[in-house]
Order: sequence, then structure tokens, then C-alpha cells
Amino acid sequence: MAHTTYGAGLATGPVIEAKGLGVKFAVNRRRKRSLREMFIHGTKRDPNAEGDEFWPLRDVTFEIGRGECVGIVGKNGTGKSTLLKLIAGVLIPDEGEVHVHGKVAPLLELRAGFNDNLTGRENVYLVGSLHGMTERQIDERFDEIVDFAEIEPKFVDTPVRHYSSGMKVRLGFALISQLEHPVMLVDEVLAVGDKAFKRKCYEAIDRMLANQRTMVLVSHNESDLRRFCNRGLYVKGGGLALDTDIDAALAAYNDDTKAKIAEREKRDAERKKRAERVKKEQAEKQAEQDKDGDGGQTA
Amino acid sequence: MASRALAVWEHRKVVGLLVRRDLKVKYQQSVLGYAWTMLEPLALTMVYFFVFGVILNASRGMPEDTKVQGGFLLFLVAGILPWNTFGAILSEAPRAMITHSKLITTMKVPREIFPLATVGTKFIEYLLTWPVLILFVVFLGGRPSWEGVLVWLPLAIVLQFTFGLGLTLFLSTVNVLLRDVERLVRIVSRLLFYGSAILFPAALVLTADAVPDWAKTLYQLNPLLGIFEMHRAVWFAGFEELTPTTLALASSVIGSVLMLVIGYWTFRRLEMSVLKEL
Repeated sequence: MAHTTYGAGLATGPVIEAKGLGVKFAVNRRRKRSLREMFIHGTKRDPNAEGDEFWPLRDVTFEIGRGECVGIVGKNGTGKSTLLKLIAGVLIPDEGEVHVHGKVAPLLELRAGFNDNLTGRENVYLVGSLHGMTERQIDERFDEIVDFAEIEPKFVDTPVRHYSSGMKVRLGFALISQLEHPVMLVDEVLAVGDKAFKRKCYEAIDRMLANQRTMVLVSHNESDLRRFCNRGLYVKGGGLALDTDIDAALAAYNDDTKAKIAEREKRDAERKKRAERVKKEQAEKQAEQDKDGDGGQTA
Repeated sequence: MASRALAVWEHRKVVGLLVRRDLKVKYQQSVLGYAWTMLEPLALTMVYFFVFGVILNASRGMPEDTKVQGGFLLFLVAGILPWNTFGAILSEAPRAMITHSKLITTMKVPREIFPLATVGTKFIEYLLTWPVLILFVVFLGGRPSWEGVLVWLPLAIVLQFTFGLGLTLFLSTVNVLLRDVERLVRIVSRLLFYGSAILFPAALVLTADAVPDWAKTLYQLNPLLGIFEMHRAVWFAGFEELTPTTLALASSVIGSVLMLVIGYWTFRRLEMSVLKEL
């Protein structure tokens, strides 16, 4: 039976365990299934089970220990974010199990939970409490959060709908980086804000990592990955292709990308050649027709 | 199942936060927040009183003796205020999961808390209708009875919100997979309004000669009919025409519990697909 469990933080042993993890999406399911079938069979028996299903991830097994920072690399659409969601427990696997020991700080969607009609202050209290911070903790850190997010004091009590998108994301990052959860999941959010703020984010993440916390990072930015991670998982075609150090994972990914580009170039070249050949043939035909035409006229 | 209930209980604070947020957003946007939300049912009550009470004479279903303790107007108010809450649950239920899609896809919490928060918000709003109801009771000379306050009132509230929660669990997940549900619900809500005898005593239908017996039975099988009769029996206890029949009472108790079971079963059943779809 597929499931996700969250235990209390352990002093030893892996923090994140994934065993034979797989998740399945049905393509075009919604249109083709009738209500009756959906209720009688639930998600188990799908009429399109054979043809239209698609496994973004399958058979993924790994363990991540305390204090590790793992980077997940791979092409777009190979299931990196899905993997992160499975670890976060916001997606239930169809196969296998995930066990996460300790609370998870999800830096997946920084603005999640912000309500546009509430003020910055109210939102910090709301989202902070949603993530399990106590009111006292937020009281203590409120100034720090606002300061980090570079929100001017006069805007703290303005509804968030008047904020710029940068302000919202900065506030979100500032808040979530204050969480003391032992596991952090980061999905491409390091590219937040302007250069100066980005540097602050990096420092904040360095600080968190120094604290023996575990981080899983999905990114396309090689320098980010090299900077933080000591281990790399290369996800390819819905499976775990490599589990090594980050440099090797990136090298494998780059090799594959290069091979892909070379292949595409070759294909492009062939197509060009073919197009040229067709053009030439057409030109020849045209010339012949013209000649015929000329002949006809003279006849 | 038990561990799941425990997980929801552990997250009761989150439910409280969501409820508080919704109320805050609703009431802070206009100065007269509370007054506005009360104005609509009151205006409607006046219209219904005029059309149904004065013109169509629906008050003929009320026993003579009720006149001194509030009469048809109190009967209307005592039905329309809880119906307003129920209608609000019905209209927000399909969106209970969709509006929180960002939170659901980033935060690990038992997903049940979102429908729970929607119903919780409506429960608080229902409690806020009480000052208005009390005003009417005082001005119209309503006489609450022990039977009404100790039996009918708690039963009506518990059953209404049990039914509402079941319905929300059901609609919120189904609507993620089939978005047309939202439209359908709007129509059904209208039908239920008349089907639950909010504007006239149910006895008018049950004693009408033109209505065949099977239709009368069907009419009483609607769990909402009994629930709303109970809401009014609080003020008119002892009048046989205004208390639910045994059949209506049974169907509202069984129907509410059944709705909760079906709703929760559907919710758990569809949870995986919903998470993928959000």
C-alpha cells in the first residue's frame, strides 16, 4: 500500500527514505470516465488504464541523511517537481513509500497562503501559524522577517494586494526561512528578487545548512547546485538514473543534453538537406515545364 | 480512520486560523460588514412576507393560536436565517478545495481541514444571525418553550451542520474533477429552497388533496424538510402542524448521518486524484 509517513525527528538514520516510489497520471481521464465508474471503482480501476496512463516517476529509491544537501537535476518534465511534492507529502504515491522524519519547510511556492486582502502583518501571522510557528515565535521574529524582506515599515500594515510581486515573494522567503523545520524542500525559488536580495537568500540558506538541516533542491542553475549541494540525483525519463555527487550528476546531465543537441542538429541538417533536395527537384521540374511551355508556344 | 481523525484534531488550530481569516476578510472590506450581511435576508423576508403571507395567503397553514407568539412573520424569519447559512454552505462547498489549491499543494496537512474550515466559517456566521432573530422574537412576542430550546434547537443545529459538512466534503472533491458540479449546485439550491418548505408550513403540502400520497412521502424524505421544521419548532413547539412528522424526523436524522458518511467516503476515495488535479 502506498503511503507517506511523518515521524518525529530521529537522531540517527536517514531523514528521508523513498522506496520504489511511483506516481501515475492518467491522460485525458476526466473526459472519458463516467461519474458512475468514478464512484464505484474510485481511482483503482481506470477504463483507460492501459493506453492513457503516464508515469512521471517510477521505481525511485533513495535515502537522504541528516545534514545532506541533495540537488535534483534533469530535463523539464522528467518529474523533478513531482518528486519534491511526494517528499513534501502533498501528493500521495501510487506505488512505494516515502518516510520523512521531522517537519518539512516547503519552499515550493513562496506566496502560498497569502491572502491579498489582508495586510503584510496579518499574512505573516497567518502563514507562519499555518506552518506551525507559535504566536510568540512570530512576535519575536517579526521585525527580523520584515527587515529581511526589505519591506518598508509603512507598508507592513497595507493589504498585500498593493505589494509588488517582488515584495510578496521576498516576504514569503523571509518568513519560510525562519522556520526551524529539519527538512527543507526548495524548488527553483532561489532566483528571487534582485541581485542584492539574491545574495541575502544565499546567505540565509548557507546559515540553515550549517545548522545540520537537510535540504533537497530542484534547480536548473548549475552554480546554485554546485554551491549548496554535496550530492546529486539525476532524474531521467521518470526514473532515477544516477545517485552520486553533484558534479558527476551534472556532468551526466550535460552529456545527455549535449548528445540531445547534437542529435537535434543532425536532424535539422538532414531536414535542411532534404528540403534543399526537394527545392532542387522542384526547380528542375519547373525548368522542364517551362521548356515544354516554350516548346508548346513555338509549336 | 482513527489516526486520520486524530490528525485533523491536531490541526484544529489551522482550521481556526482559516475561519478567522475568512471572517476577517469578509467583514473588514466594508464598514457596515455585519449590517450588510443581515440586510439581505431581512429584505428578502419582507418580500416573502408580502408575497406569500399577504397576497398568496400561505399563512393559512399556521394555526390560529400562533398569532400571539409571532405568527407567520416569526415563522419566516426563523426559517430564512438558517436557510441563508445553508445556502451559503451549498454555494461555497464546490470551491472549498479549489480556492486553497496553493496551500494544498505546498503544505502537508490533512486535507479534510479545508472543507471543515468552510463549514466552520458558516457556523460562526450562523451564530451571528442570532441577535437579529432574538430581536424579532422580542418584538413579535415569541415564546420559546423548554421543548423547543432543549430538544429542537440543538437537534436542528447539529443535523444542519452534519449534513452541511457531508455535503461540503462531497462537493468540494467532486468539483475538482468535474467542474460542472458548481453550476448544477446553483440550480439544486433553488429547488431545495422550495422543497424544504421555507416559505410556508410543510403541513400545507401534506394536507393538500391535490398532492398524491407517494409525493407526500417523497417530500418528507428530504432531510432538509425536517431540519428546517425543527428550526421553527423552537418557537412554535406543541403545534402539531409545525413540528416534523415521524417520517420527516427520521429522514433528517438518518439523512444527515448518511450524508456525512457518503461525503467522507467520497473525499477519501477521490483524494489522490484531487491532489494530482489541483
